[in-house]
Amino acid sequence: MHNTADATDRPSLEAVIRVEGLAKEYRVYDKPEGLGASLRGLFHRKSRAVEALRGVDLTVNRGEFVALLGPNGAGKTTFLKLLSGIITPSRGTARVLGHVPWERADDFRRRFALVMGQRNQLWWDLPAAESFRLHKEIYRLDAARFERVRDELVDLLGVRKLILQPVRELSLGERMKLELVAALLHEPEVLFLDEPTIGLDVVAQHTIHEFLRHVQAERRTTVMLTTHYMKDVAALCERVVVITHGDILYDGSLAEIVDRFTTHKIVTLDLDEPPAPGALERFGFPCEIRGPQVVMRIDRSRIADVLPEILRGAGVRDVSVEDVPLEEIVAGLFRSGRTRPAEPAEATA
Amino acid sequence: MGRYLSIFGTFARACLVRDMTFRANFLLECVTSLGWMSMNLAFYLLVFQFTPEIGKGTGWSREPFFAFVATGLIINSIVQALFMPSAEELTEMVRTGGLDAVLVRPLDAQFLLSMHRVDFSSFANGLVGCGLLAWALTRMDYAPPPIAWLLYPLLVVCGVAILYSFVIMLAAATILMGRNQSLYDFWFYLTNFSRYPAEIYSGPWGGPLRALCTFVIPILLVVNVPARVIAQPLVGDAWWPVVGAVAAAAAALVISRIVFQRALARYRSASS
Repeated sequence: MHNTADATDRPSLEAVIRVEGLAKEYRVYDKPEGLGASLRGLFHRKSRAVEALRGVDLTVNRGEFVALLGPNGAGKTTFLKLLSGIITPSRGTARVLGHVPWERADDFRRRFALVMGQRNQLWWDLPAAESFRLHKEIYRLDAARFERVRDELVDLLGVRKLILQPVRELSLGERMKLELVAALLHEPEVLFLDEPTIGLDVVAQHTIHEFLRHVQAERRTTVMLTTHYMKDVAALCERVVVITHGDILYDGSLAEIVDRFTTHKIVTLDLDEPPAPGALERFGFPCEIRGPQVVMRIDRSRIADVLPEILRGAGVRDVSVEDVPLEEIVAGLFRSGRTRPAEPAEATA
Repeated sequence: MGRYLSIFGTFARACLVRDMTFRANFLLECVTSLGWMSMNLAFYLLVFQFTPEIGKGTGWSREPFFAFVATGLIINSIVQALFMPSAEELTEMVRTGGLDAVLVRPLDAQFLLSMHRVDFSSFANGLVGCGLLAWALTRMDYAPPPIAWLLYPLLVVCGVAILYSFVIMLAAATILMGRNQSLYDFWFYLTNFSRYPAEIYSGPWGGPLRALCTFVIPILLVVNVPARVIAQPLVGDAWWPVVGAVAAAAAALVISRIVFQRALARYRSASS
């Protein structure tokens, strides 16, 4: 594990989430193909153990905004479900706000919220205002506090007009904004977000980024976010945890992930005329040439020397230097994690 | 307790608002339900054209029997209105992971899962049941004593509690199995036994069945005990079923609670 930022780096901060050796194993049944095999499966089923999470250690301090990244099936959502007490672990310990999540104490459940981008928690046929009213009762919010927080949240997201419209008539983006309002009405100290921007257009994504940033800064909410969108991560999270095959592969700052896992920078040149064949190879690898526009990968250690030379040599009208896109870095990390062997234990039932 | 009542009130209000939104559907459900009940009543009227009593010496002549039917309607309408819609939705919630949202709420999960939907159209049968009971009682030769009037609502609640416990155990099975439609069908077949007087279960097959449905799965206590209390004299050993119904209701609630809690601890959730 390329661990760089754990609790030992932040001794003075208050740990809100503390996880040690947390593991979750599922037993799944293989569904055989064909009628004959299905009939045999009635009496003799083959099962295997799948380790969704393999002994994870993690500490998250109050007010942190942590991105949980990983490919599909890496164990991110399982991790959030364990931390929110929806499922119980196979082994290991976890404390969130001082509580063991899967004991499901009311005092704990009053202090966090979970938003799942692919699941609707609002009443489908009714306006969101009705679901908000239910939240008020469930979380025992006094009327004045409830109205103040609701008004603040709906105004921040610009959805005041939508709360009286049946949820089923709203767009995906509008629904997600109202889901966030519902989740935050009781002002949770910890917020678990599972792909909250999935399927949303860029405007809705941006609005939600602004909103989450504001809420987190104002209330010092601890947020754990799973997402496949690097824009979410770049906009919101200072800390990134990468999970693959149920293991934490990287835990550190977003800036560090770029430093650590990239060897080159992307340089885009706008030249006076298309370059002669082979003219740029000595500086780096030209990965895309479209007439006078060239995109190159140049070794980070050489960039300070190479750039002045490029600018001196050819007729360069414009130049930009960027880091490798975050998506590419993270995809590389996912691929490196994929080499870990999965050894399911087989059993029959 | 007050908080739970208030939350239930919010659920009920939301369901009523939704039912009113889809008025035609609501009215159709009422009509369907009342139509099915009317056909049942017509069938019993037909039966009483050929016999003065169901089972010789059982006391279930026409009017007492209709008090029995009315009691069944009242109990079933309460269960159908308050608990069954939520239980039927549970299979889908387990399959799709919708149950996750329930488990993160600072409330008793059993309460949330079993009472979050109210089907107001099912109360229509209960109202007709009340009317039928009033009609039967006014036409009976026997006038129930005050103790019967006190015991009747208590025993109706016990009957509802027993059926509710079965619903909760089926819900627990759904959580463990992921999908459980056949067990709900089984519940429907099982509750069919409660629709008839216990006395009809006699003879070499009926006797063991009656014992099974009284002492193991106390489904025969659900309607029989309150109906007997209101429609027939409380004499001799007629008190034992009363005690048995109260004890069975309490035991069923406790057992179903334990089973449900254990099932929740083994909930796997669905993949997102």
